[in-house]
Amino acid sequence: MKSIFKKILAVLAPFILSYNLQADEQSELKSRFLNKIDEIIVIVENKNITKEQRNADIVKSISPMFDFELMAKLSLGSTWKELSASDAKRFVELYVERMKQSYSAKIDAYEGEKVEINKIQQPKSNRMAFFTDLVGKEEKLEIVYKFHKPSQSIQGKEDWLVYDVEILGVSILKTDRAQFKEFLRTKSIGELMDALAKQS
Amino acid sequence: MRSVYFAFAITFVITLTGCSSKSVEKPSEVAIEQESGDFNGELEGFADEFEVEEVYDPFSGYNRAMTTFNDKAYEYAIKPVAEGYKWVLHEDIRESVDNFFKNLYFPMRFVNNVLQGKMRNAAEESVRFVVNSTAGVLGLFDVAKKYCELEPHNEDFGQTLGFYGVGSGPHIVLPLLGPSNLRDLIGMYPDSYLSPLDYTERNYDTLTDTPAEYLGAKTLEKVNYVSLNIDWYDDIKRDAVDLYPYLRDMYEQYRDKQIKE
Repeated sequence: MKSIFKKILAVLAPFILSYNLQADEQSELKSRFLNKIDEIIVIVENKNITKEQRNADIVKSISPMFDFELMAKLSLGSTWKELSASDAKRFVELYVERMKQSYSAKIDAYEGEKVEINKIQQPKSNRMAFFTDLVGKEEKLEIVYKFHKPSQSIQGKEDWLVYDVEILGVSILKTDRAQFKEFLRTKSIGELMDALAKQS
Repeated sequence: MRSVYFAFAITFVITLTGCSSKSVEKPSEVAIEQESGDFNGELEGFADEFEVEEVYDPFSGYNRAMTTFNDKAYEYAIKPVAEGYKWVLHEDIRESVDNFFKNLYFPMRFVNNVLQGKMRNAAEESVRFVVNSTAGVLGLFDVAKKYCELEPHNEDFGQTLGFYGVGSGPHIVLPLLGPSNLRDLIGMYPDSYLSPLDYTERNYDTLTDTPAEYLGAKTLEKVNYVSLNIDWYDDIKRDAVDLYPYLRDMYEQYRDKQIKE
């Protein structure tokens, strides 16, 4: 009888432990995330500063939580490995700049919506997904933030970083991957970079 | 036996501290060590997640041309008209017009919810229709949402087909209506029979009798909708390096999600 208890316990203990570890990580990231949103709302609602200044402040605030560099690499799929070192560097710079501009513009369109976290999933120990609703006056917008935890922390960045955002089921990264892939079928990486440069 | 209790007590204590504080350095180190195993080359870990399923696209030439046409039509016709309309009518009125049209499509939502076995949603749709058509003055006000917290459950026949495993088929861009695919295009036919906005011969009254009236009503619906979401298309468009595949993929991803819900 004794040994059965011991065995059961031995089997369960790691689960209980890891479950708690996960719950702990999740609640910590959740509070960071909510703090970040509050921080951004303060910036967006400050109409005393110029739009440019607001955008710059938004970028400064969100950058530590977003892994734009990883997104740039992932957006190219297998092509990424074929780039020369200088192209790779320039592509990442352009992509990151475009993302920052696009994000800050979208966030600046904020009009009193509320962010509610509905569900947190942790499919792997180093992946987490926040299912949120952006609740506006008329409609709700379902937005999923996907975080990953790099094995080594990156300087100037937080532990958990957003690597993809899904709006109403549309993944920003997937969409970019598809359009870049199609673009590169007939055009060069140089042309793609020129197109990206025009957007930011 | 005592040792078991002891072990349990320890687990319990660790569990509790795990909840309340960050003093569990040891286990988190273990977790990181486990991770680094599958983190050789940071990109490998993401490979499966972003495997892009190619959209079946035999009509890409036509689709591309139609996307350009729609884009220009939006920029030079629909948007300016919607802007003028927006300037004339107060937002509350435009929202009521939007509610009115949405309320009309209740039969479509109801039938498709039932066909997918979503009885609870079908029932909620029914309550919404009754409440909004009466207390909400012919659907002009969405009182069901405001006071009863009943959200709409959008389902159309394209989603019903997808629910039963019908694939999307080739992607097709429709004139003025935008991205679609064969499945959703076929789905529009039964849905039109469930819409009170139609001009074909029916054994009951519809709101429009002639194609001209139908087109007028549909145009009003579209212009009104655009006026409420005037920057929406431009916001989406700014991230496109190539508009057609960009919109095509967004549409297919969006529909896949709607079907899964």
